[in-house]
Amino acid sequence: MKFSLLLALFLSVSSLFGAEIEQANTTENVVAYEANTNVTPIPSQRETQNCSSQKFLARNSCIRVSVLGQGVAPTNTASPAQAFALAKRAAIADSYRLIAEKVKGVNVDGHDLIKNMMVKRSTIRTAVNALVQNANITETVFKDGLCEVEMEILVYHSQFN
Amino acid sequence: MRSRDGNLSLPFTIQLILLTFFSILNADEYLISYRYVVKDAILYNEKLSISKTMRKCVGEEYNHIILENNNSTNIKKIIANNNISFIDFIHKIGLNVNHKAQTINSQNHSTTILTLKTTCFKVDFNDNFVRIAPLK
Repeated sequence: MKFSLLLALFLSVSSLFGAEIEQANTTENVVAYEANTNVTPIPSQRETQNCSSQKFLARNSCIRVSVLGQGVAPTNTASPAQAFALAKRAAIADSYRLIAEKVKGVNVDGHDLIKNMMVKRSTIRTAVNALVQNANITETVFKDGLCEVEMEILVYHSQFN
Repeated sequence: MRSRDGNLSLPFTIQLILLTFFSILNADEYLISYRYVVKDAILYNEKLSISKTMRKCVGEEYNHIILENNNSTNIKKIIANNNISFIDFIHKIGLNVNHKAQTINSQNHSTTILTLKTTCFKVDFNDNFVRIAPLK
């Protein structure tokens, strides 16, 4: 009788420890699984703020397109301030054009007129038509009548879905 | 009547509600378009058109800018006084880029036209500031 009671007590204690060990194993597995999932996280919106300057737009990521636009002040300006304002506006337009060219592409049309084995007239026409939103000016430099505007735009993969 | 714990009195509260209500009613809608042309890297022409709408616009606000108005309700004057910040805001909204370049015998000529197509803006006039928001 005594031995049977002792045996029952031993079995219950061993089963209790076994359950604790199993529970510890499962929690370790969960932690390990979470650690594994942390290796390849799905980029959240906050993470995608840090866009790279890579060439290709991968899924769930974004790229930073950066351009340098140039504009010239007209000769008949009333003041240097006006010259700067006008040159900057021209440089912004150039930056927008460059962004549109990079993101959307350029239509190119070329014609060469050749007479008597000589090039008489060579014509290249390029055209861009796009809508550019949320472009940011990062730097503006005005020197010797030339204004340079550095502009960047973040392009998200989700914008093309 | 003012309570002892310093709460606002009832007439004052009603006055505040009415003031808020009428300030909301004091919103107008304007059609604004913007276009500028750059030829051979030189600004050639710039045009900002503002007109009050003759019928109610349909759409929701998706962005806004707050400008100082100095108790004025003339939107053209307000925008003229805050020209740079408003043009920057228009750039943020987004512009259509139309660029054409022609190279003949290695001589290049280009024309870039940036356009904000006629867009309806909701304008809320307040005492010291005006809130301008495009509708989409």
